[in-house]
Amino acid sequence: MNSYLLSAGAFFVLGTSAAFAHITLEAREAAVGSTYKAVLRVPHGCEGKATTAVRVQIPEGVISVKPMPKAGWTLQVKNGRYEKSYQLHGQEVSSGVKEVNWSGGSLPDEFYDEFVFRGTLAADLPAGQTLYFPVVQECDSAAERWIEIPAAGQDEDALEYPAPGLKLSPKQ
Amino acid sequence: MSAASLLRTVCTTGRPAICLLGAIVLFAAIAAPSQAFAHAALVTTEPTDGTVLEQSPAQLSLTFSEPVSPLVLTLVRPDGTAIPLTSFRLNGQTVEIDNPQALGSGTHVLSWRVISADGHPVGGSVLFSIGAPSAAPAVSEAVDRGLRSAIWIGKVFLYVGLFLGVGGAFAIAWLAQGGRSGQRFVIAAILCGLVAAPLSLGFQGLDALGVPFARLAQPGVWQAGLGTSFGWTVLVALVALGLGLLSLVGPRGGAKLFALAGLAGVGAALAASGHASAAEPQWLTRPMVFLHGSGIALWAGALAPLGLAMRRKPVEAAPFLRRFSQAILPVVAVLATTGIMLAVVQVQAPAALLETAYGRLLLVKLALLFFLFTVAATNRWKLTGPAEAGETEAQRRLFRSIGIEMLIVLAIFGVAAGWRFTPPPRALAIAAAQPASVHIHTPKAMADLSITPGHVGPVAASIVIMTGDFGPLDANQVTLVLSKPDSGIEPIKRAATKRDDGTWRIDGLVIPVPGRWAARLDILVSDFEIVKIEAPIDIRR
Repeated sequence: MNSYLLSAGAFFVLGTSAAFAHITLEAREAAVGSTYKAVLRVPHGCEGKATTAVRVQIPEGVISVKPMPKAGWTLQVKNGRYEKSYQLHGQEVSSGVKEVNWSGGSLPDEFYDEFVFRGTLAADLPAGQTLYFPVVQECDSAAERWIEIPAAGQDEDALEYPAPGLKLSPKQ
Repeated sequence: MSAASLLRTVCTTGRPAICLLGAIVLFAAIAAPSQAFAHAALVTTEPTDGTVLEQSPAQLSLTFSEPVSPLVLTLVRPDGTAIPLTSFRLNGQTVEIDNPQALGSGTHVLSWRVISADGHPVGGSVLFSIGAPSAAPAVSEAVDRGLRSAIWIGKVFLYVGLFLGVGGAFAIAWLAQGGRSGQRFVIAAILCGLVAAPLSLGFQGLDALGVPFARLAQPGVWQAGLGTSFGWTVLVALVALGLGLLSLVGPRGGAKLFALAGLAGVGAALAASGHASAAEPQWLTRPMVFLHGSGIALWAGALAPLGLAMRRKPVEAAPFLRRFSQAILPVVAVLATTGIMLAVVQVQAPAALLETAYGRLLLVKLALLFFLFTVAATNRWKLTGPAEAGETEAQRRLFRSIGIEMLIVLAIFGVAAGWRFTPPPRALAIAAAQPASVHIHTPKAMADLSITPGHVGPVAASIVIMTGDFGPLDANQVTLVLSKPDSGIEPIKRAATKRDDGTWRIDGLVIPVPGRWAARLDILVSDFEIVKIEAPIDIRR
């Protein structure tokens, strides 16, 4: 019994606590040119406080973004021009959603929730690289910014507040 | 010069009593602390110590806590060859040095030696590398103990010449009034000072340039010595010594005038250089040093002629003793007042008495003064009356007691000369209050971070941020993260607040341990963009 407790404790301490603590994407890899459903997992509030808003910045190359409404939360988007135009189903697209903002809700620290949006990964995105979706988690008079992007060669685990990342795989 | 040979010199030129004093003085020399401290403190350098540069810098710079004059600037290449750096400009407290040639890769040493306002030279080295670090070339910056002893001994003998010699001449001219007892002793003391003064100048030159004894004969060494404020002390001291000698051996009519001018010269010589004269406010400290120095000469100088007169011509000595005991009370009052005021200026906080070498020397001096005053008070109020009345027993005891006073006075000279090597707490406080600064430059952003004061304890941090190309950078938030992985201390993370002048500031920060800290600035440029820049910063003890 004791050894069971010990090993359970060891798992808890040594386990990937970083993955539990950070805001992450559920699906960490997707092919370029595909439609991607992004599920942002919010495991806790800001230092014990309830989450009241989640804002995510859409990186260049993720087009035709549509967020999923969420009961109890106000959903807003910020539109803007892309840096260049993309081809989508034979049409040229040069502007769209640049930022998604769920606000006005309350997610207590002890509960878990997910925030969802869908978009298309442009076909000309470089496969093999990682796209980052910087997220600002706001609580009552506090904020946690999951916006750090590793520099070239830097280990993502070294970051304190890493932005959720999506690894791009080749077009299927 | 070894201790034994010095003692031999003393013992062959002086009398047995002086020989004994020499031994005491030497003992004090061994006991006196002689650790070196910087007087003008080096605040920052460009390039900073330990950096690795990609290419040879066009210019080097050294910034100090107070204005300095460079004496020797040398760049030592990785192969050990030295390039003298002769082209430099003074810009406030910064010495800007032109780099005469493109430097190859490897570790270079910028060796500097400067002189600060108090006339005391300080030196040090900055290491930087080009390309990649290599083994650092050997540069010796060791304390030359022989030279230090010589400087100290020169100073003690200069004091003997000025205080016992010129002061003695004054006593003979004004207080003895016709009595010539002690004249040979006083002349010997003046000659002692006349030898010590120029030698001290040479030693000062050696110390200023940081060169060994063997180069004492070089004219450059003497020029360097003259160039410091101590040069004035020596010149004025030589004049004062000459006036003292003239009052003894010159025309009788001018004796009093010469002696008075000599006494003023003693005060002026001391006020021309040294820690106390360099202290602010100058309008107060320099006259204080002048009065203190003249007072010492008046008191200490009278002791030998008075004692010897008592011993040999008790009848003549009685009016001498009367005039001395009348004059001495105001003199001691002036000495004590000026001494206390100077000590307050220099030491500032009572704790510094125990914590600094300067303070400890002052305590030793105070202890000696306590003995001196006890002996002097006994002489004044117990023995003077009966001795004046002609009691031989009292006269005998007074003579012995004056001998003891002389010994204590010499020991005080030894202690005071030791201050040459200890910066006063005032200067240490100025140095300690200097900020630790670092300039961080990356393509994304750059920042000037300064932590004031740059030592452990409560500090405030000030941060100026700019874009990588020197443009304005308006950040949402700036956070300072100080970490010291080798000390097992968790990072200290503090958000800065923006001031009206555009700088970012953190108050109430406490840095627990000295050493090299990693300073990181997290600059939140926009809601979704953070720039982190990092550089090491050295925190003093």
